[in-house]
Amino acid sequence: MSEPTPLIETRRVSKRFGDVIANQAIDLAVYPSQIHALLGENGAGKSTLMKIICGLQQPDEGELLWQGAAVEIRNPKIARAMGIGMVHQHFALFEGLSVAENIAFSIDGAIQGRALEKQILNLAERFGLAVEPSKLVFELSAGERQRIEILRALLLTPKLLILDEPTSVLTPQEAEQLFNTMRKLAAEGHGIVFISHKLKEVQSVCDAATILRAGQVVGSCDPRESSPESMAELMLGSRNITAQREQRTVGETRFEVAGLTLSQADHTLQVESLALAAGEVFGVAGVAGNGQELLFAALSGEVTCADHQCIKIDGIAAGNNGPNLRRQLNAMFVPEERLGHAAVPFMNLIDNTLLTNIANVSINRKGLVNRKRLQELAAEITTAFDVKHGGLNRAAKNLSGGNLQKFVVGREIIKRPGILIINQPTWGVDALSAAKIRQALLKLANSGSAILVISQDLDELLEISDRLAVLHHGRLGRARDINDWTIEALGLAMTGSEQAA
Amino acid sequence: MLYLEPRRETTVWTSVRSIMLALVITTVISVLVMLAMSDRPADAIWQLLTFPWQGRRMEVQLGLVAQQAAYLATIAIGLSVGFRANVWNIGAEGQFALGSVGAYAGYLLLGSPESLWALPLILIAGMIGGCLWAMIPAVLRIKFNTNELLTSLMLVYVASHILTYLCIGPWKGDPKAGQAETYPLAKSVRPTDLISGTELHYGLIILLVAFLILAGFLLFTLLGYRLRVAQHTPRAERFAGFSPNNTIWLSFIVSGAMAGLAGAVYMTAETGKLIQAENYLENFGFAAIVIAFLGRLHPVGILLAALMISYINVGASYIQASLGVDDSIADLIEVVALFAFLGTAMLDQYRVRRSVARPRPVIQP
Repeated sequence: MSEPTPLIETRRVSKRFGDVIANQAIDLAVYPSQIHALLGENGAGKSTLMKIICGLQQPDEGELLWQGAAVEIRNPKIARAMGIGMVHQHFALFEGLSVAENIAFSIDGAIQGRALEKQILNLAERFGLAVEPSKLVFELSAGERQRIEILRALLLTPKLLILDEPTSVLTPQEAEQLFNTMRKLAAEGHGIVFISHKLKEVQSVCDAATILRAGQVVGSCDPRESSPESMAELMLGSRNITAQREQRTVGETRFEVAGLTLSQADHTLQVESLALAAGEVFGVAGVAGNGQELLFAALSGEVTCADHQCIKIDGIAAGNNGPNLRRQLNAMFVPEERLGHAAVPFMNLIDNTLLTNIANVSINRKGLVNRKRLQELAAEITTAFDVKHGGLNRAAKNLSGGNLQKFVVGREIIKRPGILIINQPTWGVDALSAAKIRQALLKLANSGSAILVISQDLDELLEISDRLAVLHHGRLGRARDINDWTIEALGLAMTGSEQAA
Repeated sequence: MLYLEPRRETTVWTSVRSIMLALVITTVISVLVMLAMSDRPADAIWQLLTFPWQGRRMEVQLGLVAQQAAYLATIAIGLSVGFRANVWNIGAEGQFALGSVGAYAGYLLLGSPESLWALPLILIAGMIGGCLWAMIPAVLRIKFNTNELLTSLMLVYVASHILTYLCIGPWKGDPKAGQAETYPLAKSVRPTDLISGTELHYGLIILLVAFLILAGFLLFTLLGYRLRVAQHTPRAERFAGFSPNNTIWLSFIVSGAMAGLAGAVYMTAETGKLIQAENYLENFGFAAIVIAFLGRLHPVGILLAALMISYINVGASYIQASLGVDDSIADLIEVVALFAFLGTAMLDQYRVRRSVARPRPVIQP
C-alpha cells in the first residue's frame, strides 16, 4: 500500500509579529483517521499555527498543502469550505437561544426547524454527543456547550477538525465522553488536531504528537509509546534550575492558608496548605486557565471563604475579610490584568493610586480624600519605579504595558507590604521593565516580606522563587524547595501527570 | 470616508466643545421646527427666549422655572448615582408618589402639627416612603438578579394605583371635591412662601440643600470615586474593596430617598393633599431621567440641564398663551437636546477624522 496523502500539511511555515517569532519553519502533517496532538507551553506557537490553518492568519513564509495540493487559505470562510472545522477554547454561544437556534445561526440558517433538529439528533447519536436541541444554552454545563460547538463544526462536514484545549473546561467524565466522540470521528476518516497540555489525555487518545517550543518543532512521537517524562522534557526544554542568587534567611511564617476550597461558576480551587515565610519568594507555576484567577481572588479577598481561619495574615485570621481589611493587615496584591482590574483604564494615575489606598488613613479620612497627599504618593511611585507617564493626569490606558505594570507593582511595593501576592508580574512587559520588577520583588523579599508569585513564565519563577508549587486543575500541589525540582517533575506536575508523591 | 479615532487625552475643553456643539444642533433643529409650527416664528423664538421680561412680573415667571427645576434636579441627581454605577432605576415617578404617600402617612401619625418639627418629620417620612419603594427592585435585583429596568418601571404603575386607592379609600377626603383626594394638611405644616405672589417657597430651599449635600458627596468624597470605578470596571471595584452589591443598595437608597423627598415637598407645598394619580403626578420622575443624561450625570450639568429644560417648558406655555404655538414644542426641544447631547458625548472620547489612503505596512523580512 502506498503512503496515504496527508489531509493538511504545512511546509516550513513561518510567522512573526514584530520581533516575536511565533512560528519558524514548521512542518506538520495530519492524516485522515489520525488524532494528532499538538503539544507545547503557553506561547510555543500552537495557536498561531492553527490560526494559519484556519485562514485567520497568513504565513510569512512556507506553504500549505490540502490533500496534497498547494493552497492559499485567505480567510476562515475558505477554510470552512475546504473542510476545516475548528472548535475554539472559548465558546461563542447565545445564552438566551436554544441549542438548535445557536446551531442554525452558525450555518446561516441553511437548514431550519424540524429538519435541523432531526439532523442534529442524527449526528449527535452517530458520534455519541448527547444534546437536547430545544434546551436553552444558559441551562447547559460546559461539557454540553462544547458538544454544541462540536456539532456546529460537524454540520459543515469537515474532513479536519481542530480542537483547541477542549478538555480545559470539562470534568474528567465529560472529557472521557469527548474522547469517545473523537475516536468515532477518526474511525469515520476525519483527521483531528488535539491541542492540550495534559499528557495523560494525549497518551490515551492520540496516535501522533508534534511538540512545539518557542515557535519551532522540537520533536514528534507516537504518544502511546513515549513516556510522559520524555514528552514533558521536550515541551519545556533543558533549563537551569540552579538558584543564581544569594540564599535568603527565611524567617517566621507571615501568611498561611489551610484547607481552602472554593468553587465559582465552573472553577474550583483547592489549597490544602500553604505557608509563606518572611524573606521568601514562593512561586506558583501552572498552565494558563488552571485556576490562577480564582487563587488570586481567594488570597486577595475579592472572593472570601466561609471559614475565617482558613487564611491567616501574620497569625491573624482573615478568611472572611475583603481586600481592604487584608490590606490593613499589611498584605498587598497585584492582579494579572493591568487594565480593568489593577487599574481603571480611563482614570488618571492619581485616581488609580487611590484604588488600592482606600484603607490608607493618610489618604482617606472618613470618606474625605486628601488629594494633596494622594498626588504626592502618585508622584513618589512614578519616581521610585521609573514610570514614564507624561503627566500624572494622563489616563492609565495611555501608558505602555511596561510602564503601567511598573506603576501597579510600585503602588504596592512602596507601602512596604509584609505580604505581597502578585499574579503574572511581568506578563506582556518589555525586558527592561520586567527585570526592574523582578529586582524590586527580590529587594522586598530581602527586607523581610513574604512574596507569592503566580506566573505562567517558568523561567521567571525559576529565577526568583525560593520554593515552588504547581497549580493544576484548581489544585495547588505540594511545595518543594526550588533545588528539589527537576524540569521533568515540573513538566509532569504542570501537565497533570504527577504521580502521588 | 469618516472614521473615529480615540483621543489620547481628554480635557475639560473637549467636553465643553462637544456640549457647545450639542447646543448648536439643538438650536438649529428647534428653529426649523418653530418655522414649521408658527406663522410668526421670529416672534415665537424671541418670546420663548425672553418670556420672563414679557408681560407678567418677571419674578413670577422665573419662580415657575425655579420651582420646576428644583423638583427635576433633586430627582435627577439621585438617579445619577445609580446611572453612574450601571444601576438603572427608572421608577423615580413611583418613588415620588410613594414619597408623597409616606409624607401624608407621617402627617397622619403626627399628633401635633403645630410643632416646629412637624415639617421635617413629614419630609423624612416621605424620604423613607420613596426609599422603601425603591427597595423592591433592589431586593429583586440582588436576590434574584432581576432586571431593574423592568421592575422599577412596572412599580411606577403599582405606585400610582396605590396613590389613587388611598384617595378613594382609606384616606378619602371631601366627597364633594371634583376628584378623589384626601383632606388637606393643616396650614402649619405647609412651607411658607419666600416671595408672595410667586411659586417660590421654603420647600424649594430644602430641595436645593438636599441637592447640594448630595452633590458635595459626589464631588468630594469617596462616593463619587466609588461610582466611577463601578461604572466601567466591576473587577477593579472588587479589587478596591467595594462590594458591588452594596453599590446597588446604595444607588437605590439614594435615588429612592431623593425622589421621595421631592414627592414629600410637592405634597406639602404644592397640593397640600394627596390627589388621585392622574391629577397629581406630573411626570417629574420620568423627565428627571432625561435631565440626568443631559447633565452627563454630573451635579453641575444636572443643575444646568434642569434649569434649561424648565425654562423651555415655562416659555413654551407662555407662547402657547400669547401666540397660540402648541406647547408640545417644549417636548420636541427636550428630545432633540437629549439626542444631541448623547450623540456628541462620544466626541469626548473620540475625534472624527477623514480617512486617507494610507500606505500598506511593509513587512521587513
